[in-house]
Amino acid sequence: MTFDCKDLERALAVPELLPDAREHAKVCDACRRELWLWSEMSSVAPGLREEWETPDLWPKIHQTLAAQQKAAKQHRFPKRFDWRMMAGIAALLAVAVSAFVVMYSRYGPTPAAQQDSDFLTEQTLKEVERTEAAYRASIDKLSRLAQPKLNASENPVAISAREKLLLLDSEIANVRATVNHNRFNAQLQTDLAMLYRDKQDTLKEILESAQ
Amino acid sequence: MAAGRLTARSDADLIQASKRGDLTAFEEIYAAHSGRMKSIAFHLLADRADAEDAVQEAFLKIYKAAGAIQFDSGLAPWIYRILLNCCYDTGRKRKRQNESPLATEPPAIPNNVPLQLAIRHALDRIHPQYRMVFWLFEVEGFRHSEVAAILEIPEGTSKKWLFEAKRELKRLLTESRA
Repeated sequence: MTFDCKDLERALAVPELLPDAREHAKVCDACRRELWLWSEMSSVAPGLREEWETPDLWPKIHQTLAAQQKAAKQHRFPKRFDWRMMAGIAALLAVAVSAFVVMYSRYGPTPAAQQDSDFLTEQTLKEVERTEAAYRASIDKLSRLAQPKLNASENPVAISAREKLLLLDSEIANVRATVNHNRFNAQLQTDLAMLYRDKQDTLKEILESAQ
Repeated sequence: MAAGRLTARSDADLIQASKRGDLTAFEEIYAAHSGRMKSIAFHLLADRADAEDAVQEAFLKIYKAAGAIQFDSGLAPWIYRILLNCCYDTGRKRKRQNESPLATEPPAIPNNVPLQLAIRHALDRIHPQYRMVFWLFEVEGFRHSEVAAILEIPEGTSKKWLFEAKRELKRLLTESRA
């Protein structure tokens, strides 16, 4: 191939042509300068890197994260419920449940008492369902507030928050469908409440990070 | 970046431990990436205090979002994507406060200066996308696959933008030195 000055640009884009370009540069000052500049740019570029000491930066980050962790723990377990108190409550509950089982086995319910008991259970369940409906309405409201901020942002945190919300909504729909067929299952009701709680926390994080 | 990691925990282990609240593991992530992050943030914000603020903000977000990370393209691209977003946020805030050095017209490239300084001047005059790829690849030493993952562009685009960046820089440097 006969290499000309006008071929230089193409040679820089196609590494296979570089040997020809170098051969041509031996007899052409202008191309030799351009080739030198091309490779020299890559050689000196790492020297542009800015480095400086920041001994305070990690301590600041650590302090903020530690404070956030502490606040989160306090949020989950209020201070007054330390482990000794929790253990005490657990022991009391165990005694109460045992006493109830003993009493129940000795003096089982009469048919009338059974009816009362059914009525009370139904009443309690309705109470749970009412609370759940109110809670769901509050979270929907929170969701409507967070949605514009969530849709407007394309940062990775917002994208993962959107994905998490989609998963949570789908899981909530699944559990609610199961609850509808098994209203007296306390475990399902608890699972549902935890999913709502998770959704609430995620929405709160979005709103906080948007501020 | 990965140097000295023979006995250290993997990125996946570190992020898993961080998710459980292990701040020592998170400090390892900080130690591995903060140097590069500060340099990139400084390149974008042209101010050390702003760069440190952006890096701090990025690490707080990384820790908060650690539970949601997908390891398809590794930890690094995810971390640097968050950093870039923090830098853009800081840049936008500063623009609103009308104190952005980035908003001013870049100075002409002085002649008779060392090539490194001339490149620094010329970089301010090329397209921001080309500049970013040049910086990540040539200055910070990322591979094209990593640059592509950080900027969420195809690898071929990363290569093309690097070529365009160098072509523009060559033109500007040749003009200034003519």
